[in-house]
Amino acid sequence: MATSERAVSKVRYGRWAITIVLALMCLIWLGPLWTLITTSMKSTPESVGDTSAWSLPKSPLRLFDNLKDAWSTSGLADGFKASLLYAVSGSALAILCASLGAYSITRLRIRGRFFWFVLVFSGTLFPLQMYVIPLFKLYQDTGLYDTRGGLICFYTAISIPFCLFVLRSFFATVPTEVQEAARLDGAGDFTIFWRMFLPLAKAPIAVLFLFQFIWIWNDLLFGLVLSTSDGIRPIAPTLAGLQSQYASSGQPLVLSATLIASLPTVVLFLLLGRYMMQGLQLTGGATR
Amino acid sequence: MKDANLAVLPRTWREAAARRREGSWSRVARVTAPYLYLVPMVVLVGVFLLYPALDTIWVSFTRWDGINAPTFNGLHNYLQFGSDPAFSTAFVNTLYWVAGIMLLQVGAGLLLAVVINASPLGGLFKRIIYLPHTISGAAIGVLWFAIYIPGQGMLNSALRFVHLGSLQHNWLTDPPINTFAMILAGIWQGMGPTMILFLVGLQHLPRDPLDAARMDGASALQMFWYVTLPLLRPMTVVVVAISLINSFKVFDIVWVMTQGGPYRSSETLAVTMYRESFVSSDFGYGASVAVLLTAIVFVISVPYIRSMFARVEAN
Repeated sequence: MATSERAVSKVRYGRWAITIVLALMCLIWLGPLWTLITTSMKSTPESVGDTSAWSLPKSPLRLFDNLKDAWSTSGLADGFKASLLYAVSGSALAILCASLGAYSITRLRIRGRFFWFVLVFSGTLFPLQMYVIPLFKLYQDTGLYDTRGGLICFYTAISIPFCLFVLRSFFATVPTEVQEAARLDGAGDFTIFWRMFLPLAKAPIAVLFLFQFIWIWNDLLFGLVLSTSDGIRPIAPTLAGLQSQYASSGQPLVLSATLIASLPTVVLFLLLGRYMMQGLQLTGGATR
Repeated sequence: MKDANLAVLPRTWREAAARRREGSWSRVARVTAPYLYLVPMVVLVGVFLLYPALDTIWVSFTRWDGINAPTFNGLHNYLQFGSDPAFSTAFVNTLYWVAGIMLLQVGAGLLLAVVINASPLGGLFKRIIYLPHTISGAAIGVLWFAIYIPGQGMLNSALRFVHLGSLQHNWLTDPPINTFAMILAGIWQGMGPTMILFLVGLQHLPRDPLDAARMDGASALQMFWYVTLPLLRPMTVVVVAISLINSFKVFDIVWVMTQGGPYRSSETLAVTMYRESFVSSDFGYGASVAVLLTAIVFVISVPYIRSMFARVEAN
């Protein structure tokens, strides 16, 4: 009796010791965010000097001035708006295309179900570097280069395979009776898809939208290769350009811009982080 | 028997009647309609992903400046790998990335998952560790560039603060330290998903073997080594494969922090591919680096893809 009590309390102490060590680690882990936030609150002279990494900002409200400056520098505002457009429309269109495909593959009379699935899914198997050269050429030849439509097309396409993978396995779990009952009521295939399957898939669709939104928002490579002008260029390549232009002259400006560029996805994570982490386990993690 | 017969019958009488009335055109429409649902997805993926991927293979066998027509030059680009010092630097750097990620992200990620799993505040720690993964590689590059600035940056400041000033470095200009410095930034970004996948694995472990080992008086370390680790193997395969693949393809962080410099000392294969193609306009050579990357990634993914398709066919 006494020994088991001692063992239990030993385990309990062990757990709290672990927790304290972890808490310290997490503080260090958040160190870079300390730099990000405090530097964004400083003036340029405040941000240089050997002790500036630890000094607190003199007037934290300066943050808003810095954010305003960054917002109007080097097309950051344009990049922000452009990326918002690409992330929302790319994810939505990809989910639409993939859900149509997944519905046909799982529920309609077609030949080669597995073939169509593998064909589209193989789009995620290649490293991104395999796409850029011919796309660059194709975009220049067809006038898609440096257009919003061109970027939306690509972001939609790159998001489809993963959406298909998830929606296909989801639709496969919907009982056939649902479909049969609707058919008895005289509903056509498309009505069944639109009125029943899409609403049923609300939860996986929300998770997919979250994942694809963040992926498109964070993409650097295709923004660099397929666009060049302000207003078309997404936020990540805009930020990269801003870095190479201003990194040596003013850290507060550059880090304020970084704060702006990170805000949407970080807010999404703080609000919906649980679903993101669940989504990760649902899919076993996407390779892309 | 009866059920099997029923399955052959038309689903509803209404459908049967409609079928009797329909002409040959509407029959064509009925048979082809299901394929129309595939069209948007197949066209988009075909035009914007599959065609470019295949075309890159062709480009890798040519000499092409992006303006004049490409000319076939056989294996020349691939043979160039052996004599190009920038390529061998990039290859070695990529191996540093792979080793660093395997050791510090996968290895430490597993330990972290085990520890977090045992902590009462695990949910909070999990979120904190995962947070950087939601930030773009470009933003992380800018942020860690600031941390590594020699004078005012946080890292050197911290080293001076704990009286280890002699360990200070020009983190991003001295090779190969610049690669190691960027690997740390990469791990800061990538730790989250690695740890979550291990946590998922840990939470789905069968209880019985663990309880049995505990009854037999196994120590925590013995439990981890002889029971937890072998049971966790399927998830470990997935995590190792994903991390290997991702570490071979590192681009964003390097491009933003050093652009592969100074003097191409911190390039990875993905950066070399980009630089050769879009900075030096040597698209054939760039394409051959992309194909090499793909070959490496494919070899690594074989076990992963196999387990993935096993799962797909199972449901």
